[in-house]
Amino acid sequence: MREVTFLEAIRLALWEEMERDPNVFLIGEDIGRMGGAFGVTEGFYERFGPDRVVDSPISETAIIAVCVGAAAAGKRGVAEMQFIDFISYGFDQVVNVAGTYLYRSGGKTPIPIVVRGPSGGYVGGSLYHSQQFEAWFFHTPGVKVVQPAFPDDAYGLMKASIRDNNPVVFYEHKYLYRRIKGPIPEAHEDYIVKLGSARIRRYGDDITVVTYGAMVHFALEAAQRLEKEGISLEVIDLRTIKPLDMKTILESVRKTSKVLIVYEAPKTGGVGAEISARITEQAFEWLDAPIMRVAAKDAFVPFAEPLEKFVLPSVDDIVFAARELAAY
Amino acid sequence: MSTTRTRRKNGQQRVAFHERLEKSDLIEIYRRLWFARLFDEALYDAKKKGRLRRGNVYGSRGQEAIMVGTTYPLRPDDFVSPIHRDMPVFVFRGMTVEQVMCQVWGKAEAPTRGKDSWSHMGDMNLGIVHSTSMLGSTIAVACGVLWAQRLDGRRDRVLVAYTGEGATATGPFHEGLNFAAVHKLPLIVVVENNQYAYSTPVELEVPTKTVAERALGYGIPGYSIDGNDFNAVYDTMCEALDHARAGNGPVLIECVTYRLQGHADHDETRARTYRPVEEIELWEKRDPIVRYRQYLLSTGLFTEAELPESPRDIKEQIERAIAYAISSPDPEPHTALEDIYDESAGVSL
Repeated sequence: MREVTFLEAIRLALWEEMERDPNVFLIGEDIGRMGGAFGVTEGFYERFGPDRVVDSPISETAIIAVCVGAAAAGKRGVAEMQFIDFISYGFDQVVNVAGTYLYRSGGKTPIPIVVRGPSGGYVGGSLYHSQQFEAWFFHTPGVKVVQPAFPDDAYGLMKASIRDNNPVVFYEHKYLYRRIKGPIPEAHEDYIVKLGSARIRRYGDDITVVTYGAMVHFALEAAQRLEKEGISLEVIDLRTIKPLDMKTILESVRKTSKVLIVYEAPKTGGVGAEISARITEQAFEWLDAPIMRVAAKDAFVPFAEPLEKFVLPSVDDIVFAARELAAY
Repeated sequence: MSTTRTRRKNGQQRVAFHERLEKSDLIEIYRRLWFARLFDEALYDAKKKGRLRRGNVYGSRGQEAIMVGTTYPLRPDDFVSPIHRDMPVFVFRGMTVEQVMCQVWGKAEAPTRGKDSWSHMGDMNLGIVHSTSMLGSTIAVACGVLWAQRLDGRRDRVLVAYTGEGATATGPFHEGLNFAAVHKLPLIVVVENNQYAYSTPVELEVPTKTVAERALGYGIPGYSIDGNDFNAVYDTMCEALDHARAGNGPVLIECVTYRLQGHADHDETRARTYRPVEEIELWEKRDPIVRYRQYLLSTGLFTEAELPESPRDIKEQIERAIAYAISSPDPEPHTALEDIYDESAGVSL
């Protein structure tokens, strides 16, 4: 085992996949000579050269499109969005070009690409460096969506995403990059976390908390606080948002009968709505309370600290919602 | 009509590549021009008579010299990415007419298995790259196909990406061409400037006198040529291929032509209102097949009888393919949910 930061886990996964498979290449802004805005690709340019670590012009459309075209010709491109917010520039490439490609090629041309980048708030990044747009791609057929919360998952999921034959949008919460440390397996173990598998990060009896990304850490902190009050939370880290691991969610719901869904994106039309609907469709008779959601307010992520704090969900929000559910 | 090059080196004359073609090439080119014309006529006719009941027919009448002239000098291992007025290009690059017709009729054995319509198909084994309705996107995707060749040490394989003058106004067109120019990719962008993007005239799409001038912004050669003159298209293409294969980066070729039909078959009536009648009549007289036939006769290599109009065997070939498509099975409804994800890699639950 190696004790590494969340960022280092991603870096090692990319490095080891580049070493393993010559078809893997990286493309993005400032990722080569500079090593990336957050340093995720430091040292890659020197090791793998300019053809496999491509410094692109500021062209999110082209960055993703190059991965798509190269994938059609047998390569596995990993596109870095300097901030995942900028994927809006490349939206058509993800949704209409990459997402549909296998379908419109009669199943003959898979598009194994990863579009990765730092997401999320809590760092004063303001409107265009704080967003969580996973719901856009959650809604898109043909695309998978991943967001890890711990180094080992980031490591194993990145490897799985690169080896997957479909377009994957990979959210790396920048709040976790250097704050979260943990063990990851050694390179020779070839550790993979299969896409579509959730992980229960804390077992509990009273309330199922379904969450992902940075909110997993908030939920775990809330669970610790509530334990003293005699409220026991089961925290499910989805890890992969699409495909959704409903089996793990439903098993937990049948045990606790109460559900709290926590996500960092604006509440309306978010991933939580779909999870809630599916639980209602598939396990209604097991529920003892309404399904609750803690999410961001339906606003942008503002800059000033009191504003950002007001908009984004907090540990307190989770604690209050859980108390309410427990008392229901 | 004259051919101009935006960045011609001083006094340098264009090589007349077309004069090097063998007699057998000339006949083949002539027949391909007719194939393109008759393909278009057959589908318009099928739609009109109700044999084709679904989807639009996007006409290519008058654009035949572009399709034949840009593909004829290609190597078998080059790539193309055709758009909606290039249907015959799929055949020129190796698809069967039956496959193309199955695609038009949305049949199970179409390249897309009935999932997508018309020109949104491809076959990477034939070097045909799939395009979408967002024509500018194709230019950006083409860069990726070429990047894969670079990784494989195949920098001499050229990709010809077709687009319209309207699509040159889109972001992906710019990002793709900019990327290709920065990284010197062997991309040839053929702009079929047929003067109209649906109803919008070229002057509302492009602020410069020619589309070719856009090339200046990328530091690459830009040609504006008579797209109805096969020899001009062919010669320019040969020059562009030499440039791209030698590692000098992309080339932009604007083929000036005219959309003699509506945007699609449904637009024939309205297209008579947004295009001046005199303009249509003028361009009808610039028929590329008539012009090429005149050229062939002027070489003295052919008699009139050797150059039949609407060759019957080509007509029959197209008709056989249509009959094949019509009698071919429809896709099973449940296949609509196939090919959304590829799980053959086994890294998903």
